[in-house]
Amino acid sequence: MLVVGGGSTGAGVVRDAAMRGFSAILLERGDLATGTTGRFHGLLHSGGRYAVKDPVAAVECVAENAILRRTAADCIEDTGGLFVTTKWDDPAFGDEFERGCRETGVPIEEIPVDEALRLEPRLDPTISRAFTVPDASLDPWKLVSGCARSAREHGARILPYHRVLELERRNGRVVGARVDNELTGEEVWIRAEVVVNAAGAWAGQIAELAGCKVTVLPGKGIMIAMNHRLVNTVVNRCKPPADGDIIVPIRTVSVIGTTDTRVADPDELEVTQQEIDEMLDEGEKLVPGFREARALRVWAGARPLFSAEDVSDTREVSRSHALLDHAERDGVEGLITITGGKTTTFRLMAEAAVDVVCARLGVDRPCRTHEEPLRGSEEGRFYWLGSRVQAREPVPRSEEIICECELITRDRLKAAMVTRPTTNLDDIRRMLRLGMGPCQGGFCIYRATGILHAYERLDSRAANASLLDFLQERWKGVHPILHGDQLRQASLDDWIFQGLLAVQHLPE
Amino acid sequence: MTYDVVVIGAGLAGLTAALRLAEEGLRVLVVAKGVGGTHLAPATIDVLGYADGRVESPARALPEFVAAHPEHPYRRVPVGLIRASLEWFAERLGGLGYRGGLEENVLLPTAVGVAKPTALVPRTMAAGDLRAGGRFVFVGLRGFKDFYPGYLAENVARSEVPGGASVSARALELGPPLGGEVDVSSAGLARRFEQAEFRDLVVRELEQRLAPGEIVGFPAVLGFRHAQEVWQELETRLRHPVFEVPTLPPSVGGIRVFESLTAALRRNGARVVVGSSVSGSEHRGKTLEGVVTQTAARPRMYRARSFVLASGGFASGGLQMDSYGRVRETAFDLPLAGLPAPDGQRFEPGYFDEQPIAGVGLAVDDALRPVDAAGAPAFENLHAAGATLAGATPWREASGNGISLATGYAAASAILERTS
Amino acid sequence: MTELVRDSLDHCVKCTICETFCPFSQATPLFPGPKYVGPQAERYRAGTSSPDVSVDYCSGCGICTRVCPQGVKIAEINSRARAGLWEERGIPLRNQLIARPSVLGRLGTPVAPLANWTLRNRPLRWVGERLLGVHRHAPLPRFARRTFQRWAKRHVSPAAERTVVYFHACGTNYYEPAVGRMTVEVLEHNGFHVVIPPQDCCGLPLQSNGNFPAARAYVRRLAARLAPYARDGCAIVTNSTSCGLMLKREAQEILDVEDEDVRVVSEAMFDLCEFLLLLHEHGELRTDFRPLPLTVPYHAPCQQQSHGIGKPALDLFALIPQLEAIELDADCCGVAGTYGLKKEKYEISMAVGERLFDEVREAEPDLAACDSETCRWQIEHGSSIQAVHPVELLHRAYGFGEP
Repeated sequence: MLVVGGGSTGAGVVRDAAMRGFSAILLERGDLATGTTGRFHGLLHSGGRYAVKDPVAAVECVAENAILRRTAADCIEDTGGLFVTTKWDDPAFGDEFERGCRETGVPIEEIPVDEALRLEPRLDPTISRAFTVPDASLDPWKLVSGCARSAREHGARILPYHRVLELERRNGRVVGARVDNELTGEEVWIRAEVVVNAAGAWAGQIAELAGCKVTVLPGKGIMIAMNHRLVNTVVNRCKPPADGDIIVPIRTVSVIGTTDTRVADPDELEVTQQEIDEMLDEGEKLVPGFREARALRVWAGARPLFSAEDVSDTREVSRSHALLDHAERDGVEGLITITGGKTTTFRLMAEAAVDVVCARLGVDRPCRTHEEPLRGSEEGRFYWLGSRVQAREPVPRSEEIICECELITRDRLKAAMVTRPTTNLDDIRRMLRLGMGPCQGGFCIYRATGILHAYERLDSRAANASLLDFLQERWKGVHPILHGDQLRQASLDDWIFQGLLAVQHLPE
Repeated sequence: MTYDVVVIGAGLAGLTAALRLAEEGLRVLVVAKGVGGTHLAPATIDVLGYADGRVESPARALPEFVAAHPEHPYRRVPVGLIRASLEWFAERLGGLGYRGGLEENVLLPTAVGVAKPTALVPRTMAAGDLRAGGRFVFVGLRGFKDFYPGYLAENVARSEVPGGASVSARALELGPPLGGEVDVSSAGLARRFEQAEFRDLVVRELEQRLAPGEIVGFPAVLGFRHAQEVWQELETRLRHPVFEVPTLPPSVGGIRVFESLTAALRRNGARVVVGSSVSGSEHRGKTLEGVVTQTAARPRMYRARSFVLASGGFASGGLQMDSYGRVRETAFDLPLAGLPAPDGQRFEPGYFDEQPIAGVGLAVDDALRPVDAAGAPAFENLHAAGATLAGATPWREASGNGISLATGYAAASAILERTS
Repeated sequence: MTELVRDSLDHCVKCTICETFCPFSQATPLFPGPKYVGPQAERYRAGTSSPDVSVDYCSGCGICTRVCPQGVKIAEINSRARAGLWEERGIPLRNQLIARPSVLGRLGTPVAPLANWTLRNRPLRWVGERLLGVHRHAPLPRFARRTFQRWAKRHVSPAAERTVVYFHACGTNYYEPAVGRMTVEVLEHNGFHVVIPPQDCCGLPLQSNGNFPAARAYVRRLAARLAPYARDGCAIVTNSTSCGLMLKREAQEILDVEDEDVRVVSEAMFDLCEFLLLLHEHGELRTDFRPLPLTVPYHAPCQQQSHGIGKPALDLFALIPQLEAIELDADCCGVAGTYGLKKEKYEISMAVGERLFDEVREAEPDLAACDSETCRWQIEHGSSIQAVHPVELLHRAYGFGEP
């Protein structure tokens, strides 16, 4: 089996397939989880958000939420969730909401407003109702790399930086793919009995390589990471789903999102000032003083919304996934597409896809991904925010700390440099969150570049390029949202990089 | 208590203005929200390093530069006064041995190995001058994460030096014991260098590994109060020229400047209050009467005849931009110059592009007094200096400390002239 | 208030200035520095749980908050984290004891000679260190035989046009009643009728040892006693500069006390030297000082500096003929209230204070001056030079002799 797409869906599929004894290869054009999965809100849905408008999705979320808590606990922080009725919301919706939750099985409890405010002192004190649900925050990289590792342990091969150029067909059947190794430039042919197209927002592009039309509407959503956890619980507006109505605390930041705009190309995601203002204003309704709080960076992700026909308001398209067997649909054997959905239900989507493959190949192998925990989650212990700090005790400076915001030690950095196929600072950034804290690399990027060079992974020319690229990449996510405290930081960073180090004058 | 002058801000600009005035016998009070500029910036005085390309001589380049940038703070400080400020600085901080001037920039390696021009250089950094070329060896210390001599050396060896002198460079790493501490800051290392046993270990490990004629570059950690003795001892015992390279904050060299300036202020009877921010002011017509600072329980007014605002730019909070893109000067809400168009883009997409917001600040008259759009001073007795001024992008021009020093000096001169 | 302190972490740009100034992180690797345990680690604390023990090595001196150019309330964040830590672990007996100076005072003063002998008996101090964790060399004060309150009850303050309220705090009451008498005489000399209400501890040592609920109870009780005077328009002065800071700001900012009495008292609270200097600025301070030909190095305690009023003692000293007051450079004496008394922290506190002790000795002084009683005891312990509150010098210069 050849799986195209290294996001949560693809990683889930290759893991499930490998566990069921299939020989499988995962191809991803970039680094794992750099598509939609790496840019999502970070929310493990309780199902509450869909309880009224999309009960099918809600029921799926309820089941998957429980399964992931059992099998991927290390990727999850059990923050809990709140749905609150602000003065801009209709209090009566709370009843509809509660009904919807009970009907779909979402564990829900209405609590007194006082209690909600005690739990979350930053909330607008004029809220009129509050409900708790088992929302949680989910780390996509841990999830995807956990699945990938599990897949490898069961014999699969994971190939990031491998772009699919062509899907080879013979007699109306997909038999494999021509693939470009982006790191070495070599081209490879890979044969497979079945190709699973799990390319998410890019699924349409992949399907087209086999002559099949799959309409996936990229629904762009922006998210803003605020410097610290303004709330420690996932906070939702108790109203019909709309823009900017969720704040998710994930690791050390709290993220507000999101918008929903149809775009043409999932690789062209522009963040506009208008969208940013909208998010900040919505944030202000939940947390007064939101606009004065420090905003770290902004990014956009593209939801993969499958539609049988074109629609303009993507919020109407179901969040449930779409599983397409192209043999039936287009007369092209050997190809199935799994798209749509959300990260919370990735495992279910993967199970459905591998079930279809089993059927196609005429074998009956049961799925076990709902039972077997990922490595690190065997004891069912959830991620604890304080763990990185505690790990450095009792003598915090017993190791050199390179990135102080994210508490990354020199040893950890070295280990990451050794295990990655690329020596790109940006990959390390994504893996370790290097330079993703408040100082945005102001101190640690110089150090990391020096260390990268010292381990002879890069000569000075490549180190210079890596440093300059990193600064540019970081700027992309920072400049649209730059104001207040973050502008102060950026100013100091300018003094350091351009004033003190004069990196803009590095020799070619 | 009525002072003659209240200076707001304890960076280089504020301390310069304060000391200059205190020396002339005026009663000076410095109030500052915290400690800043000096501790983050390198100890060199950069007057003008990059205009259209690298600047070799600020004296020659300034007239053209000022003509091309009429909004720049240097427009308000005649070259003669800039020169006087450098001489004053070098003399007041005599113990630190500053040398150089406006005639020819020195080229010093930065911590990534760029040959960066600067005008005034302390003794402990002078041997790093790349202009004459040379064979350099950069020395790192295990456990000190803010210096990468290998990376530095490779880049510096490729630097272009006017006159084409050859620069070669290599790197060494020492492993002196840090008393069990594994993660030491530059300040921590500087304190260790002030201990004789530590220096012994460094010298002993290093002297075996130097080739004849090499110039030895350390990170800027050669001590605080006793830096001159530490540097001298290293040079004498190693029998090689020794210099320091400034690295990430805290800037040890900058701290030396701060301590020298504040000690001089104390000697001249000035008062320094750190930890109080200015929250308001009182004025009668166009005369500023006093500034209000926040103390632990209540506001407190300090009255004076003249005031100097040296609160810095965005990095220190002297200027702030809110989430709506509105910029304000935070002590007095003075009118600002250089503001980008309100609905225009606030930032360019390229990190190294010229950013619209960088030049925002206070426009000033020839007496360094902040003026409004019509060019009239906001107050007849309020002057401004340093990074709060409009029209400069100091980190690109390599002009930061130069602007602070020159405008701080000029603001003091203007006050002396006005009140004499 | 809770959120104002925590939210100030947003201002941190990692500039390292706080770490550079922190005297305690320089003295021990067990304390990674204010930036580390403050705005940096705070992002990893959800709710009140504190994952780091190292925050307990923060002394609460407040230098970090003062020098921070961005306005991060670092020491306050640390204080809160420490309270969270101790709430989880349970406060040890030693910390409960030494955090209640008024309780100790009430136990010790009636039997002062015995209590003082006990505290100076070396074998008993060894035992004390082993059992309780108070270092055997820690500078403990002597109990006075009679409390200041006892003197105050018998003292009749002459009627005058203006009234001022004296908050003397525990140190004066149980250990240095003479300083209290001098303060009253100086205020009366300047035309004030001095009211000394019955009063108890402000709760500062409880706060710095992480017992917030008890600290809140104490400060509320104290404020309730003082508030009526404040509402009447009286100023409240104190010679205990750290306790003054507690009432001025820390009760609200660190303990989160939202109480009208506390608020009203905070607005009326003055540090003694601050008050006297303000009188002078209005031309109302009597300057009939005799010459005092003394060399006096002056140390402004960390807590005094946190008042944000500069160093008014120096300006007052300048009014006394022939008095050579030397402004000392060193930041901190190291004791930080009860911090330096603790077995595991004593060495650190002495290392921190070493530079100050050297500077005091190098001045070849007659006396040293310092506004905080715990700092004075530390300075005497570390430099062997007698240290007095600035008011003593004013008292002497006014010609009142030994009280």
